[in-house]
Amino acid sequence: MTDDDPLIARVAAELRRPRSPGPGFDGRVMAAVRAVPAPLPARAWAWLREPRVLALSPLGGAAIAACLAVLAAAGVWGARRGSRDGSGAPAVAARAAAPAAPSVVTFVLVAPQASTVALAGDFDGWDGARLPMRREAAGIWTVDVPLTPGRYDYAFVVDGRRFVADPAAPRALGDDFGRPSSVVTVGSGAPGAAGGSL
Amino acid sequence: MIEDEPDGALVRRVLDGDLEAFAGLVARHRDRGLRFAASMLGDAAEAEEALQDAFVRAYRSLRSCREPDRFGAWLLQILVNRCRTRAARFQRRNRQFVRDDAALERAAAPAGRSREWREEIERALARLDPLQREAFVLKHVEGLEYEEMTRLTGARVPALKMRVKRACDRLRVLLGEESGRRDR
Repeated sequence: MTDDDPLIARVAAELRRPRSPGPGFDGRVMAAVRAVPAPLPARAWAWLREPRVLALSPLGGAAIAACLAVLAAAGVWGARRGSRDGSGAPAVAARAAAPAAPSVVTFVLVAPQASTVALAGDFDGWDGARLPMRREAAGIWTVDVPLTPGRYDYAFVVDGRRFVADPAAPRALGDDFGRPSSVVTVGSGAPGAAGGSL
Repeated sequence: MIEDEPDGALVRRVLDGDLEAFAGLVARHRDRGLRFAASMLGDAAEAEEALQDAFVRAYRSLRSCREPDRFGAWLLQILVNRCRTRAARFQRRNRQFVRDDAALERAAAPAGRSREWREEIERALARLDPLQREAFVLKHVEGLEYEEMTRLTGARVPALKMRVKRACDRLRVLLGEESGRRDR
């Protein structure tokens, strides 16, 4: 009906005329893109997550163990010295310089009707297959994920195709990719939990 | 040659650390993206900003692009959302249609009557309900099927058909008013 309307056809034809951006547009986009941290390459991510067996001779193993023991002893000695002479500052500075330790966050979804549930989020590149959740009693699905402190968007992938936001967590703003998602903020310290029921 | 490589290959190269491959994706998809954003926002500068924003977001989340060979459709999905956000902000600022001579030149429209016609269309589009405008542009300008529009917008097919119909009805009225005013 409307497809055959000559007026609408003329409007559409006019709007379909080619448009080009102003000069320098590509350069501005690429400058903005260069300011963003590069996405972790897929192969690098797979390599990091793949379990592997290290072949180590008894002598090599003993050498590594000795090095670790020396480092641990030096750490204990340094901490005791700092606390004995009252100058706690070096120990604090050392803690501040160390990379933030990951906390284990338990994600939980109650979905008795689901056949499979997986977790997807910023932490796995929204893969949806790398973090399958375990089914426990009464249709409770859980997975533990070590996360360094920060803010992460995530969602549950139910039956391999449906993205579901966490009913018990705040929704992510700017839902750009057409799927619902939630936010978890991981602080340093104690393990956390996120989850709700469908 | 980057120009000859399919989108999927360029996406994989970017993920392997080759940033220049992303420049290839920008060059390939910018004109269509700009056409959509300009129709939605009615302002060339806003459209360019929305498109740049969409490219940056696409790059940041590139690993979540599940079908790299359909990068263009994925980018359009991001752009639809960026345009919605900007259009809402635009409305809050109560901005009026502005004549943008530089953008009109770049739109490759001939001078004279065609230019007037273009301006009439842009004024009429700006007066549509944003969701009706979006459905109209996706259907009649981008030529998408309703199923694809459902994937992009999250709205169901009957709702999208109704939005397109209402947009067409309204455009007929608005453009009739314009031509009546011109003929007087």
